[in-house]
Amino acid sequence: MLATGPHAIRVDRLNKYYNAHHALKDVSLTVENGERIVICGPSGSGKSTLIRCISRLEDHQSGDITVLGHRIGHDEVSEARIHREVGMVFQHFNLFPHMTILENCTLAPIRVRRMSRADAEARAMTFLERVHIPEQAHKYPGELSGGQQQRVAIARSLCMMPQIMLFDEPTSALDPEMIAEVLDVMIELASDGLTMICVTHEMGFARKAADRVIFMDQGEIVEEAPPEVFFSAPRHQRTKDFLGQILSH
Amino acid sequence: MADTMLHTSDVSMGPPRQGALEKFRADYFGRPSDVILTLGGTALLVYIGWHLFQWAILDAAFSADVGAKACEAKAGACWSVIAARWRLMFFGLYPYEEHWRSGLACAIAIGVGILSCVPYFWTARRLTVTWVLGFAAFVVLMRGGVFGLSEVTEEQWGGLSLTIFIFAAVALIGMPLSILLALMRRSSTPFVSVPVGLLIDTVRSLPLITILFTVAVVVPILVPSWLQGEKLYRVIAGMALFFAAYQAEIIRSGIQSLSSGQDEAGRTLGLTYWQRMIYIVLPQAFRRALPPTINQMVITFKETSLIIIVGLFEFLASGNAAYGSGEWAFAYVEVYVFIAFVYFVFVFSLSRYGAYLERRMRIAQH
Repeated sequence: MLATGPHAIRVDRLNKYYNAHHALKDVSLTVENGERIVICGPSGSGKSTLIRCISRLEDHQSGDITVLGHRIGHDEVSEARIHREVGMVFQHFNLFPHMTILENCTLAPIRVRRMSRADAEARAMTFLERVHIPEQAHKYPGELSGGQQQRVAIARSLCMMPQIMLFDEPTSALDPEMIAEVLDVMIELASDGLTMICVTHEMGFARKAADRVIFMDQGEIVEEAPPEVFFSAPRHQRTKDFLGQILSH
Repeated sequence: MADTMLHTSDVSMGPPRQGALEKFRADYFGRPSDVILTLGGTALLVYIGWHLFQWAILDAAFSADVGAKACEAKAGACWSVIAARWRLMFFGLYPYEEHWRSGLACAIAIGVGILSCVPYFWTARRLTVTWVLGFAAFVVLMRGGVFGLSEVTEEQWGGLSLTIFIFAAVALIGMPLSILLALMRRSSTPFVSVPVGLLIDTVRSLPLITILFTVAVVVPILVPSWLQGEKLYRVIAGMALFFAAYQAEIIRSGIQSLSSGQDEAGRTLGLTYWQRMIYIVLPQAFRRALPPTINQMVITFKETSLIIIVGLFEFLASGNAAYGSGEWAFAYVEVYVFIAFVYFVFVFSLSRYGAYLERRMRIAQH
């Protein structure tokens, strides 16, 4: 087993193909412990694919991914380990519709972490309070608004006490009036020192919470910079075009 | 809650509601052709209903004391045949003085069936305990040979008890088998998915009768006798495989209808394959596949009557024997009506139960 290095995530010359389509081209990226990264870019740029490779939902064809010192894609043990240490929040929430909110939050702590039901429920309530919906604990996902469901999904991931959280366009499926409540929760998390990678087009969130903004296009990382530099002085023409499009309205 | 109630009353104040009588008149007497259809249809129903009533109740004989000769002379139905021969229909060739055992076993099987329909029993442990105890009690009672009960071998089992035994055993073996087959067919390893797919498609393309003949007639010729087992159990194994092939496709369709995000969410939470299947995928797949699953159970229950052709003495065969012996030969209609009624009671309860489950799940999930 490799020693835990100083980096939370290290991606080295990663290549990913969907049949003939070259989705990620020699992508390299290093994320430090506690760092908050925002990845943006036009659709099809490979940003979701990148974090799905990091969370092992997709296999890559070449290159290395090292998460918390474990090289992934090479043995079952490290894969299980990564899923325990890396939480993921999806665009479409993916709550389990046949379980209550509380059951959604306690399933993995009980089955994977082997916690007692009482402990798992206490922890779930703590995190539901942190996302401001403890009163919904005994409802089913179908009874909640989209914004509430996404906050439950965040709490569900946090219940596993991950060291890294990945967000895959967490507000893209939400009605405009619900985006703020989810972003507020994410900003609170960012200030707690959790390592976060967030694929999003919410530039306000990037400005407030990100240490670094990464712009991807056509499977490549085009530009990366701290938000104040990224927004005021983008270097590449593609970045300028993209920012011009999304900030104009 | 208060909010919802306010809303409902608001809505009901909206459009004026049609009175029940007006609606009835508009639906059934709206146009001249409607009037003719309504009156003609009603007259026909009354006519048929009256004649049925006359035949089945008014002119019928009920008591077993009415002899076969006197009964045949009656204008109406001769239910006396049921009263005189019900033991044969329910218990087949089971020894007469031991009928209470077969009856009790039957009641236990039905009781276990009802218990496992109650949500309280829907945990893996409670269901397993109920089924194992129930099954053991059934076999001990039927087969005997222990606890001072005289031994009754499988060839002497018969009637409704046998039908219920076969159905319960087929469902009990077939359901887990079907889940396994469905999951194997979805495997990403072609070494697993291709042979299993081939097996399912082969079994589905054979008529049940050929499978029954194979296990009852061909297997004894090809397989050494120590490996054959009792014919009854071979038939159950064959039917369970047939059931599982169909049910596997039903479950697979339920799994396929779930979004891949459900499984992905389970993976990123660190759940293993079997944990994701047991807690996330299968419960949802079963809910979605409930109507066809109930349908498959109903079909299987009725298909148990096919085993008559390989010489097992189930409910329908026992019914044939009930009127087949000389004096009651004229009363076959009554016997078949009674058999149909018993099947109806079982199948109708099954489908009502399915409807209850669907309602319940709609409430739980919205």
